[in-house]
Amino acid sequence: MNVHLSSTIQTSDGADGSIDVNAVSKSYGSVEVLSSVNLAIAAGTFVTLLGPSGCGKTTLLRLIAGFIEPTQGHIQINGVDVSGVPTQKRPIGMVFQNLALFPHFSVAENIAYGLKIKKVAADEIDRRVARFIGLVGLDGMGDRRISQLSGGQKQRVALARSLVLEPSILLLDEPLSALDMQLRRQLQIALKDIQRKLKTTFVFVTHDQEEATILSDTVVVMGDGKVQQVGTPQDIYSNPNNLFVSKFIGELNEIKGRVTASGRDLTLETEVGPLTLPASAAQGFTPRAGDEVVVCLRPEHLHVAAPDAPANGSVALAGQITDCLVSGPLTHMGIQTGRTILSSVMMTQAGNAALPSASPCKVLFDPAHARVFAPLSDRLAKAFGEQP
Amino acid sequence: MNSGERVTFGKFLMLLPMLILLAMFFTSVVTLFSNAFVERGGFSFKYFQQIIDRPDYHVVFYRTVLSSILVAILAVLFSYPIALLLWRANTWRNMLLIVVLVPWLVSLVVRTYGWIIILGPKGFINAFLGWLGVIETPLKLMFNDIGIIIGLTHVLVPFAVISILSSLLSIEENLEEASRVLGASSLETFRRVVFPLSLPGVFTALMVLYLGSVGAIVTPLLLGGITEKFVGTQIHSEVMSSFNMSKAAAWSLCLLALSFVSLVIIKLIERRALRGQE
Repeated sequence: MNVHLSSTIQTSDGADGSIDVNAVSKSYGSVEVLSSVNLAIAAGTFVTLLGPSGCGKTTLLRLIAGFIEPTQGHIQINGVDVSGVPTQKRPIGMVFQNLALFPHFSVAENIAYGLKIKKVAADEIDRRVARFIGLVGLDGMGDRRISQLSGGQKQRVALARSLVLEPSILLLDEPLSALDMQLRRQLQIALKDIQRKLKTTFVFVTHDQEEATILSDTVVVMGDGKVQQVGTPQDIYSNPNNLFVSKFIGELNEIKGRVTASGRDLTLETEVGPLTLPASAAQGFTPRAGDEVVVCLRPEHLHVAAPDAPANGSVALAGQITDCLVSGPLTHMGIQTGRTILSSVMMTQAGNAALPSASPCKVLFDPAHARVFAPLSDRLAKAFGEQP
Repeated sequence: MNSGERVTFGKFLMLLPMLILLAMFFTSVVTLFSNAFVERGGFSFKYFQQIIDRPDYHVVFYRTVLSSILVAILAVLFSYPIALLLWRANTWRNMLLIVVLVPWLVSLVVRTYGWIIILGPKGFINAFLGWLGVIETPLKLMFNDIGIIIGLTHVLVPFAVISILSSLLSIEENLEEASRVLGASSLETFRRVVFPLSLPGVFTALMVLYLGSVGAIVTPLLLGGITEKFVGTQIHSEVMSSFNMSKAAAWSLCLLALSFVSLVIIKLIERRALRGQE
């Protein structure tokens, strides 16, 4: 058994477990759910498909699983084109959102299912099932009925049932979404741990950006049927491609404005007054005078200071504190600046707590932290439930 | 019951229809008992003794039970593929269900006469086979057990379809996909997942069909003829022709007992078959 498992780990280090999605589109009638998606998933990584509901992430997962075929393009698994290959012949496992455990089988029978289909010898089945029951932490529960399990235990059975077949790729369709926060955390840690041990490629679908950030080596942000950005969680947080990605990951201050002049510097007329930012703040497009834009600033990049504090090369905006919440090490502040309220997060310092509401202040930020993006397209805005 | 729950007038009112039904059932059973054991004003076992003694009456019971078992099995065999088709046809399900149920809009007597047109000595089947030259004398397809079985199966199929379909529809979403991801073909998925999970519906169907067939009157009367009697037709003729209420009551009680025993047997088989399933 151990020998078998370690050999799997070695092959997973190669191309075994890689997925290549090439120009894949999927339409239902006139509705295009995915449009020309390209994605390369490296073997042995934990990849998250992240996006709001309706962004096409589950469709992409079902295409990889082979439940549906792409309208255009093709998918390669382990370097082999799987067009027309039925699900049962693809080297994948899958954990479903509703788990889809077999209610007429016990825990052990559920886990043994795939092995029985493969006609593995009975004693070998017993050994492997026992091992995976242990791996997911369900020792002694093999004879339980599915209806006797808690939500978290069911998750573990679903995971073991797929992993016992040692697929090179495991697809997970929001399997944790039905659980409460605490259990979710536990299982996230367990998932990550199991993925590291087995070095299986995990493709995990979620709409929870925090979950994606915690679990993944690579995050694929999807919106409106397209891949918006691929990168490490840190990369996506710090260097978002566009306003959609920026809004979807983490907290964000959005300042609407219009470009008045562009050159080496970008001059803007905004909700908080005139701003001058380096031209490099605009990424992925070249703004011209008259363009509508959105200036994005993370709350942790806004520094609140006394009205007479020196700017020291930062951009300074005059404002008024609207509220100030001190929660342990962090202080959250809202500052009325021009026509909008900016939020700021700073380390709590002595004296912070005493800041009274409506007292005048100065908001400082390093212009290098500002990002300027084109406004969301109507279709992407809809994903956030915004009026275009 | 929750100790804090109070029996209000409203709740009692909701219970009322059931109480009326129970009252009617027990009244009829009591009436049956009082009729069955009474002959010329005195207590008598006469008609029960008759049933035990007369071999021709035994045949009626055998015929009823064996035909009903056959009808239940045949109807389930016919219904299962139909139920599967309806289950698969997501968008067309309700339309197709209407097609299955439409015979119910036609009176049972009319439907059975339809079978006479098809099965009779000069009916469609015999005419067609004669035209083909396969047979020279007409096949005897009615006024015998064959006619009864065909007719009852036809009448009862919709019940089986509904029962099996409801069982299939209660199978959790994605179970089939899960099975395929675990390497099973469609056939294996059916054998190991879909079929076992549809068994509760199959057993409900077997039960309803068997009971429906054992107590049938109209179809055996019209398709079975004079000699091929069912328990139901025997009771019918005692009431309508001989006006012998005591004998009819004795037969009815035997039918009731028979149904009850059969029910217990089917339930025992079901429990064995579904062992391990919740």
